[in-house]
Amino acid sequence: MTNALGSAKTYVKIWVWLAGLMLVSVVLAEAGLAMPARIVAAVVLVLSLVKAVLVALYYMHLKTDRRLLAMVLAAPFLLVLLALGVIFSSTLLHF
Amino acid sequence: MTTHAAALSPPSATGIPHGKLGMWLFLASEVMFFTGLIGAYLVLRLGHPAWPGPEGHLSVPLGTLNTLVLICSSTTIVLALAAGERGALRTVRLWLLATILLGALFLVVKGFEYTAKFSHHIVPSTTVFWSCYFVLTGFHALHVLGGIIFNVLVLSYAASEARWQLFHQRLELAGLYWHFVDIVWIFLFPLLYLL
Repeated sequence: MTNALGSAKTYVKIWVWLAGLMLVSVVLAEAGLAMPARIVAAVVLVLSLVKAVLVALYYMHLKTDRRLLAMVLAAPFLLVLLALGVIFSSTLLHF
Repeated sequence: MTTHAAALSPPSATGIPHGKLGMWLFLASEVMFFTGLIGAYLVLRLGHPAWPGPEGHLSVPLGTLNTLVLICSSTTIVLALAAGERGALRTVRLWLLATILLGALFLVVKGFEYTAKFSHHIVPSTTVFWSCYFVLTGFHALHVLGGIIFNVLVLSYAASEARWQLFHQRLELAGLYWHFVDIVWIFLFPLLYLL
């Protein structure tokens, strides 16, 4: 191993957060709150992003591991942003 | 680590074991794969204001159950890794077995969902929504199956102390892959079932 891994106590704490945030998402989406659908969608997706970051940082150990690994993971997202830039710039050219 | 094990994991220029760096590179390519599929789904969905319509109903309780199952399995495999760090091989075996069973439970629930859809004559060609649903969940389920096979392989290494000394690093690789599969579902669940 290249680094000391986390403790079992931390892993269980993260599980509680993941399960809790997931249940909050379900309640938000299903409760029929008097909120615009776009706001509900944005909150639910942000909660998903938070859960994904928790898994990456604590379960995949990106928080304590070599920074090179985080850069490897960032590369595809940069490519996605580049692709989106190309798509939207070509859309703008049609106006 | 034995001399033979050291020979299997020679030092790398990056300071990161080759297998681990290779797994992260593979996961980066997987991010591209699923981003392409999810991106196509979002573009199609945003182009249809009434998406998916009353016919596009999915069982939220089953989806919630499966999400909880995958979250639990991510925790059990990382607990196996922690046990491996302590040298508690018996505990490694138990947590790995739990991970495999939870993965299998996910596929069983997914099988029930698919069967229910097929019994109502809902197939991938029914509508664009169902095409997206079967493609996204189908590829994800294949990844879950691949993860289960990887975990079974690692469990076989944990069967004996000698083999574990040689191949224990692969538990971390299996864990990385399994967590990635979990992250993909963390996004698929709200996109397909909730929103």
